[in-house]
Amino acid sequence: MLTIEPSAPPDQLFAGYQPIAGTYDELVEQGGRTRDHARVVANILANMTPDTFARSQALAELALAQKGVTFSVYSDQRGTEKVMPVCLVPRVIAAAEWARLERGLVQRLTALQLFLDDLYGEQRVLADRVVPAELVLASRQYVPRLRGLKPPGGVRIHIAGVDLIRSPDGVMRVLEDNLRTPSGVSYVIENRLVTKRMFPTALERLGVRRVDDYPIQLVEMLRSVSPVDPEKSTVVVLTPGPFNSAYFEHSFLARSMGIELVEASDLFVTGDEVFVRTTTGPRRVHVIYRRTDDAFIDQEFFRPDSMLGVPGLMRAWAAGKVALANAPGNGVADDKAIYPFVPDLVRYYLGEEPLIEQVPTQVCARRADCQYVLEHLDQLVVKAVDEAGGYGMLMGPQASAAELEEFRARIVADPRKYIAQHRIELSTCPTWIAADRRLEPRRIDLRPYVVTGKDGSWVMPGGLTRVALRAGSYVVNSSQGGGSKDTWVQADAAS
Amino acid sequence: MISRVADHCFWVGRYIERAESTARLLQVTRALAFDAELPPLHCWRPLMIVSGQFPEFSAHFGADAAGNGDIVQRYMTWAPENPVSISTSVRSAREGARSIREVLGHEIWQATNELYLWFASEEAGAVYVHDRDEVYRNIRRGTQLCLGLVRSTMLHDEPMDFLWLGVLLERIGQTARILDMHHHIQGAADAPQTLLQTALWLSLLRACSGFEAFMRREQGRVSREAAVSFLLFEARFPRSLRYCVRSALALSQRLDVNIDSEPWEGSEPPAKGSARQSQASPTRTHGKGAVTAARTRLDALDRWLDTQEAKDIPLTVHALLTHVIDEASTACQELQAGVEGATTVAARIQKQEAAQ
Repeated sequence: MLTIEPSAPPDQLFAGYQPIAGTYDELVEQGGRTRDHARVVANILANMTPDTFARSQALAELALAQKGVTFSVYSDQRGTEKVMPVCLVPRVIAAAEWARLERGLVQRLTALQLFLDDLYGEQRVLADRVVPAELVLASRQYVPRLRGLKPPGGVRIHIAGVDLIRSPDGVMRVLEDNLRTPSGVSYVIENRLVTKRMFPTALERLGVRRVDDYPIQLVEMLRSVSPVDPEKSTVVVLTPGPFNSAYFEHSFLARSMGIELVEASDLFVTGDEVFVRTTTGPRRVHVIYRRTDDAFIDQEFFRPDSMLGVPGLMRAWAAGKVALANAPGNGVADDKAIYPFVPDLVRYYLGEEPLIEQVPTQVCARRADCQYVLEHLDQLVVKAVDEAGGYGMLMGPQASAAELEEFRARIVADPRKYIAQHRIELSTCPTWIAADRRLEPRRIDLRPYVVTGKDGSWVMPGGLTRVALRAGSYVVNSSQGGGSKDTWVQADAAS
Repeated sequence: MISRVADHCFWVGRYIERAESTARLLQVTRALAFDAELPPLHCWRPLMIVSGQFPEFSAHFGADAAGNGDIVQRYMTWAPENPVSISTSVRSAREGARSIREVLGHEIWQATNELYLWFASEEAGAVYVHDRDEVYRNIRRGTQLCLGLVRSTMLHDEPMDFLWLGVLLERIGQTARILDMHHHIQGAADAPQTLLQTALWLSLLRACSGFEAFMRREQGRVSREAAVSFLLFEARFPRSLRYCVRSALALSQRLDVNIDSEPWEGSEPPAKGSARQSQASPTRTHGKGAVTAARTRLDALDRWLDTQEAKDIPLTVHALLTHVIDEASTACQELQAGVEGATTVAARIQKQEAAQ
């Protein structure tokens, strides 16, 4: 008997796409059915061939290179620039889900701001034992000398970039709160320009919310926290310089806000006021959106060996003469050691249940948790609380016996230094794999940006979707083979 | 305007102009050499001499290499160790533009970046082998696009003035050098014939993009006197020394006035107490702005050109050009020192503040 294989013709881009078993795919359900809110995208892909897609993809990459949408690689002394890899297949988020996320993010950041105010003030939260005092006070990110100081304008977390992941049950969870100098927002805006060129009608048909008003929202917010009349304020962006990995973004933001981009040597402090050196002499600065880390912004106050700092800047900030966005000292609130307690902080400060989930976390400082971690070491991801960027981390399921033993000894020796989580199967999205000329599921996360000024918070609709381009990888960082995608948030459920 | 940014603007202008001028000079000299009326050494060595890189070039490739058009072109086009190669100029223009991207705007930045990326690409290398003229043309098109965008997209304000001042001061040096090539060709062992003289002058005019303009003015009559007077004194020709010096002077006057007349910006005085204000006042004194010294020098140079034109027997062209090149180069140094000076004064206030 003759049977006809139901395989789709090979020239169809989307034919034969299968989600990874046990993982949530953003576009396709496990059975192969397209998710309702993403139908428009599925239709576009179904009408494309590998050839047409490859052409669009190549055009997009060329456009980004010509525009100089790059990040610098630190390992290279000369600061080699690389183009942020982008995949043209967008990630779509339904209107209703986005509305829930927005509320959850604002609630969480409100609680974290109150926590910082409290910690650098009365410290009720420690007296009431909501968070173990020894954990907070031992954090390297806690700056005792800031206690008693209030930021001009009252805001501490002006710009937050909260990393979200989606677990197999379809629930979005906070993985990390970035409350210091989160980067990546420029790629969101540039990616949108590219998808607009490639899929002009789809955005319109789906009713995708715009992202290009971010700079306007940002500069309004920055003005709102000025110590003087916002209309008479000078706002600047402070960059560590062209060799910083995010220099493109610093320049992009300054340009799209229409304000000056300055380096530390352009600024100086006199009489507790900050000035920028201009061809017409010094000019007073009122608000600084600084993209330099706390440790480097003022060699009088923080690291004396910093080459990127402005001596006296912290003095001016303490005197209320200049607003710094974000405020110094925020690191303690996005510390891995504090993360497990954030839901408790929401309840404590707001008297509400958290609207947004996070990843269940064991705190080794707790005896019972520590016991559990030691017993399940080979199934857990263990993180040292004072390390970042994947250092001091154990991936239990992939680790060798020797590595497990080494970590076990470290945890027993200093349990307070460690937290542990089960590895989350990050959700996937169809992603163009140039070498194979086809779409395959790759793991993604999402970083929405929340801007908070004197008059409240604004959440950029969408955010940066980062994708782990290597098969089987969970690492979405651009420095380690990650790329990005445009994030399409639907305008409302009706469209 | 931030002093560091002013300095970058000035240099971006200089590098873009230098890249274009070098590409044009190489293109024209190549055409001249193809006519084979002059021995290659007489075409290429003068080019190396006026570039200022002849000693380094000879030390590296040997003195005879200046007679080899391929070696000269490769050195002037690609050599990263040559501070005036097209490659160095394009890269430096792009580096500068990258650190003031927010001041230039995305169109100028992108044009500069695209030029840089193309020039660094394998494709450019391949075109250089098969169709060299196209490489020079592409460089010129790219740089002309950048400068066109500067005038048509930037605010006509301080940053553009600094950038254009860089363009003009660079152009003074470039035109003077191209004109001076004649002196060095002439100085070669066997001086060219009259017919060849004409070809040579036309070639130099082409190297300054002045061929058509010159022919129109002279209605086809080519003479040494006419060509020299055109490139030196024709106030309507945008690459003549007279035009460039006058335009640079006008820009520096505008900058000088703006910089001097502005009071403290911002809503509040610089520091508490009048004593500190008076410490800051040296920057405010009229006539001592960042570009005052350069403006004064350009003014004197402009007058000096007037007296040279009026003279019956002027200096030799070579002596005149040497003076112009020296003065333009000093004006550049003074401008930079002036811009840095604003920074230095600010730093001094800061130091005094710290001492109290």
